[in-house]
Amino acid sequence: MKAKRSNEGYLFLDHRDSPGLPDALTHATGPELPLGIGRGLFEAPTITCSHCQAIVIVNPLRNRDRGYCSKCDHYVCDTCNAIRIANGGACKTFNQIIAEVQEAAAQSESIKEL
Amino acid sequence: MAKRIQSLTTLTPTATADTTNLVDATYHGVIQGGSGTQRINIIEVYQGGQAGASSPTIMLLSRDSTVAVTVSNGAGLMDAALDAATAALAAAPVTGNTTTTKPQRSSTLHLLNLSFNAFGGIVRWVAAPGEEPSLVGNTASLGEISLSAFTGGTPGLMGSHIVYEPL
Repeated sequence: MKAKRSNEGYLFLDHRDSPGLPDALTHATGPELPLGIGRGLFEAPTITCSHCQAIVIVNPLRNRDRGYCSKCDHYVCDTCNAIRIANGGACKTFNQIIAEVQEAAAQSESIKEL
Repeated sequence: MAKRIQSLTTLTPTATADTTNLVDATYHGVIQGGSGTQRINIIEVYQGGQAGASSPTIMLLSRDSTVAVTVSNGAGLMDAALDAATAALAAAPVTGNTTTTKPQRSSTLHLLNLSFNAFGGIVRWVAAPGEEPSLVGNTASLGEISLSAFTGGTPGLMGSHIVYEPL
């Protein structure tokens, strides 16, 4: 069985030789992230949301459960998790959306050829 | 298929709001599908600061709600295959940062915030294999991805690259 951690990307933010980012700026751009990540070295895993492909920087201090879709067996971002719960657990992965776009484009080209 | 790299030697990005024209050669660049069905995976994004004074820079990897037309590379921007033996693709991905119709960053489809201080800062993000965000086709809003500076901060001189793979 594949571990969920094998799906994690990697973020490297190095301000060891830099004034870094003020907390106000890091908080404005990523309110879920802990303060102080803009100073020194910050390394964190990332998750690609299975439903929208937004990349979530994993907050190492988070206590709440992460959104998880058992139908596609992937973590999802908080926004997609709220939508998923509101829709009774409905799952539509981004790969399915891509397949639909490709199918529609292929059909459109077939019609042009006719 | 074949991994490719879009690299930018040096540039000071201009902070631009969402759904606003990205002016030529003021942002890293766009990557757009080479056909209506082409899928491209984004594998890595790197930014290295080159500024001579503190420059908090808010950089966003985002889908575009208006896609670029007639795209070419501005000064310092290039696109190359990572493997020397890569054969030319039948439908080459469209990449560049100089266009006729200007691309506009979507206000709802930001993928990743890569803010850093361009005075000595370094930021690198790598996707896990099989978990790469992707774009498909060459129309809005799923057919183009851009890396550009968002409003706020004081963008500074930087170099950057995006590793991607057309499928």
